[in-house]
Amino acid sequence: MKLISSLLLLITISTSVAANENISTPVEANEDISTPIAANENEQAEPWLERLATSLQTLNFSTSFVVVKNNQAEPYHWFHGVDESGNELEILSLLNGPRRDVLRKDNIVSYIEPELPPYSVTSQQITGPIPAVLREGVTALGQTYDFISVGRSRVLGRPAQLIRIVSKDVYRYGHWLWLDQESGMLLKLALANRTGQLLEQIQFTHLDITDALGESLLQLQQTSLPKVIEIPAGYQEQVLQWQVKWLPDGFKRLNANRHRISTTKKPVEFMLFNDGLVDVSVYVNPSEDNQRATDYVMDGATVVLNQVVNGFEVSVVGKIPAKTAKAIADSVVLNTNSTP
Amino acid sequence: MSENKFEAVSSIVDNDQQNDELFDEILNDSHLSATWQRYHLMGDVMRGETSDVINFDLSSQIASAIADEPTILAPHTSNNLVGKLKAKVVQFAKPFGQMAIAASAAGLMVMGVQQNSADTDALLPASQVVKTMPFGGVAEPVSLNFQQTSRSSEKQAFIEQQRRFQALLSDHQQQIKLSSVDVNHTSPQDKAEESAK
Repeated sequence: MKLISSLLLLITISTSVAANENISTPVEANEDISTPIAANENEQAEPWLERLATSLQTLNFSTSFVVVKNNQAEPYHWFHGVDESGNELEILSLLNGPRRDVLRKDNIVSYIEPELPPYSVTSQQITGPIPAVLREGVTALGQTYDFISVGRSRVLGRPAQLIRIVSKDVYRYGHWLWLDQESGMLLKLALANRTGQLLEQIQFTHLDITDALGESLLQLQQTSLPKVIEIPAGYQEQVLQWQVKWLPDGFKRLNANRHRISTTKKPVEFMLFNDGLVDVSVYVNPSEDNQRATDYVMDGATVVLNQVVNGFEVSVVGKIPAKTAKAIADSVVLNTNSTP
Repeated sequence: MSENKFEAVSSIVDNDQQNDELFDEILNDSHLSATWQRYHLMGDVMRGETSDVINFDLSSQIASAIADEPTILAPHTSNNLVGKLKAKVVQFAKPFGQMAIAASAAGLMVMGVQQNSADTDALLPASQVVKTMPFGGVAEPVSLNFQQTSRSSEKQAFIEQQRRFQALLSDHQQQIKLSSVDVNHTSPQDKAEESAK
């Protein structure tokens, strides 16, 4: 019986994917998701987001989702649970291509990736396609984002509540969240620019909420994770030669270091900023060219912008509009106070 | 319970003897079947084939699981459903399959033509999905007088640029992972080592 139902599901998915492709090919990334905003005054958005945070932290769930960007789909499996002693267990695996797994046991997070030997870090959150802030509650975002409850719709065969996280200024993208009315779980997540054009979306394809831990999580419980790498204190707060003069409000510096880019071995000065929801990286390094015009690419909602001014290459990477990235890159100046 | 019955069980375990009558007897006699189980277990232990956890009473678990198995009332209709679906899927898939063959043949021809004109295509990383665009600029006019050499160097520059973007993107993702770390756990000794460097 189980086999039959999964076969049915497969057929449904494959036909719906085919249908989607048919629609999106002629328009190409011009899919519009702006629905009439009939904000229901009675329905507050914050409680929904608080509930999402609680669900993400406390429920035993097994789910699959697909990240759709650049006319491509990346499928993931995601398991989460809490064991008898109250420790959280979490597994996130990319299902296509070389293995990319993230494992978490309470505050140890391990990354298994093709580029590097497996390693662990001490952290309370896994880094993946779903913003970590969603499981911590959104109160910290209130300075820079508004939360709007838009209305109900049907997602993953369930009644869902659509919540929008809208930037108060023009420098950021908006996040659209479809939440399960029954469990408060995330069913769909979309990033859209201010005109409502869809840039990237995460569609859940299956969701199981159980009382007991799933098989994979029980296995994880027995597994010993790779060694934790210690990040020296001070490594992420180095005094750099260059500094960023302008950023949209609410961005805080999480990291400032010198390192080599793993693939090109190029030494860079690096700064990472975060406004609670999105990360922005700024790279500065000497270049062989003296000048190079600004160029950028979009990977879904992530912009990679690069320019060379007076022999120095400045790059900005993050889920922000290209105009914002350009303004950040233009604001990079020599730090007059530093004594390198 | 006679001693030679145990011996008979032992010989069956050792594959020395095949006796249907004795099999039936073992199956119907709980004492004998327990013996049968023990002999097998001994054999397994001696050969080192046991797992870390030995489950002693597998047969009774299976028996009770079979007893608990719900009766499937209408397997016939569901079988039919699968059959119908299969037929539909095949019907649905067939024309596409033919199209796909035609399309791939056409694709091969196109590929062949491209291969002749520009070999540098092969240098492009296969995972390339991003598309560059000049920032708010105007596209360079295409000139017929363009030299072949400058075109290939332009292509080289394009590949170089793609690599640069890809490297930045993966480094960005890497750094996010390391920045979400609680740095409080590091000892002062590490700090001293780092500053010594």
